[in-house]
Amino acid sequence: MTSISFRGIRKTFGSTVALEALDLDLRPGELVSLLGPSGCGKTTALRIAAGFEIPDTGIVSLGDNDITRTPAHRRNMGMVFQSYSLFPNLTVAQNVDFGLRNRKVEKATRNSRVGEMLELVQLGELGKRYPHQLSGGQQQRVALARALAVQPEVLLLDEPLSALDAKVRSTLRDEIRRIQSELKTTTLFVTHDQDEALAISDRIGVMSNGRLEQLGTPEDVYLRPASPFVARFVGSINELPNINGAGKILVRPEDVTISANEHELTMRGTITRVTFQGPVTIISVRIDMNDQLVNVHAASGSIHTQVGDRVSLAVTPGRGIVEAA
Amino acid sequence: MRNLLGKSGPKIVILVTSVFFLLPLLAMTRFAFQNVGVFDLSWSKAFDKWTFDIVSKPFEDQYFTDSLYLSFKIAIGTAALTLGLLIPTAIWVHLRVPKARVLIEFMTVLPYVIPAIALVAGIVVIKPHARWFLNSDLSLIPFYTVLALPFTYRAIDSGLRALELRTLVDASRNLGAGWIRTMLKVIVPNLRSAIISATFLTVAVALGEFTIANVLLKRTFPPFINEYRMREPRAGYALAVLSLLFTIFIFGLLSVALRSPSAKSHQNSTKSREMS
Repeated sequence: MTSISFRGIRKTFGSTVALEALDLDLRPGELVSLLGPSGCGKTTALRIAAGFEIPDTGIVSLGDNDITRTPAHRRNMGMVFQSYSLFPNLTVAQNVDFGLRNRKVEKATRNSRVGEMLELVQLGELGKRYPHQLSGGQQQRVALARALAVQPEVLLLDEPLSALDAKVRSTLRDEIRRIQSELKTTTLFVTHDQDEALAISDRIGVMSNGRLEQLGTPEDVYLRPASPFVARFVGSINELPNINGAGKILVRPEDVTISANEHELTMRGTITRVTFQGPVTIISVRIDMNDQLVNVHAASGSIHTQVGDRVSLAVTPGRGIVEAA
Repeated sequence: MRNLLGKSGPKIVILVTSVFFLLPLLAMTRFAFQNVGVFDLSWSKAFDKWTFDIVSKPFEDQYFTDSLYLSFKIAIGTAALTLGLLIPTAIWVHLRVPKARVLIEFMTVLPYVIPAIALVAGIVVIKPHARWFLNSDLSLIPFYTVLALPFTYRAIDSGLRALELRTLVDASRNLGAGWIRTMLKVIVPNLRSAIISATFLTVAVALGEFTIANVLLKRTFPPFINEYRMREPRAGYALAVLSLLFTIFIFGLLSVALRSPSAKSHQNSTKSREMS
């Protein structure tokens, strides 16, 4: 288990600033996700960690060692890529063996490690197959086994689930978390999918325009967003007028209270849509004050309303953040 | 009517093209291997007096083996130089300067546009300053490399485009392989088809090129055939037919060689899936 840290990292591509003053520490054995929209710099940060890019300024350290300029093939890191990255000319077992051969590990040790890794990702039977004979999910499992076979100090995951269909994605996501917890490998996980990040991370770093907007536990990021960007990007958000001052209040649908009594709460409006989603019913209300649409998550069966009903709304005390005008 | 034309159109094109190519070859074959006077080569005598004795005649010529050996030497040298230059260049362009791809493509097409005779005219001009180089028979190698560029660069380039090159290179380096090992163990094996295609295309160009060799007075195989045909017309054409069959054989080998182990197993797995 090793820590990895980024200190004051800045990276530009031509006139585009990909990363600006990135400070990030991953504790040993921790899984940190970098979450953000396309072009926010999260993949650049990962590629800098892997050694595929050199930052313009700043230092990357692995434990106490400065690895900023260490070539990629001399860093002991395992990486799983977004696109299928298995070597098409090699079998599954040969793919997993590739990194071990490069490290000149003894043959007997290599064979047993390849077997162990394939068992770990539950593909012990498929060692002799070629990558094109595997499904997308199986290919990513092999890629994970290959990355872990070299016992990397840090595991780097570059949107490894984004090419997979929803069901495989959620299974493999849980599996990544299980394996990571089992091996306690320090892991940097890059994704644009908030559900993925919320589900498997110890901490999440939300990025925007090359900057780290917030670094915190999934609960922190969701319940206590540090900025309007984080509030908007993670989970769904309502924008309500700030009754007590200027600007807007950004609030989650589950933090809005709804009453069938039009005069009970502070804001009034008309229901435009009711969507039953099993345990939760999403009620869309157009509020009178600024004609905005607000979504409210109510426990199904807790309130009986229909489209056209007049209702009143209020923000749960202590929830929501104020965005200045 | 349009439907009928749509269905039979391609067949008509193939038929006309086949006739266009095969008829002269057939005439050449009959001239070479039928012991019948030229004016008697009518359809009614299509099966008369075929003999393959004439085939042995060119082999007796003292320059036959020398010219063929020289052509093979040049072909191998050309293939080696082509691959040695093209593979690293194409990889470098794909990974580092993808914007330069258009320029490189344009440059590689130039040998199509500039006829070999123009190239050789340029070579003749510089000849007094580069005799040490041009006097060697192997000096044809760089010129043939240039001539083959339109075919070879495209073969390598399309091979690279079919790969997730950046990801494969990154994955290999991430797993501890340096650049050389990445090239040898990851890129080259996955470019197998492209490399074999480029090699055979290069060999075909080197074995068949006449203009430059003739003007520079190199006795490679094509000038030998030409000169021999003037001395021994029937045996010369027999030799031309044989060299054509040899080229077809090479391309047959090419298609067999292109069936890589992983492609074969892919086919097998598809077959067994279809059967089950």
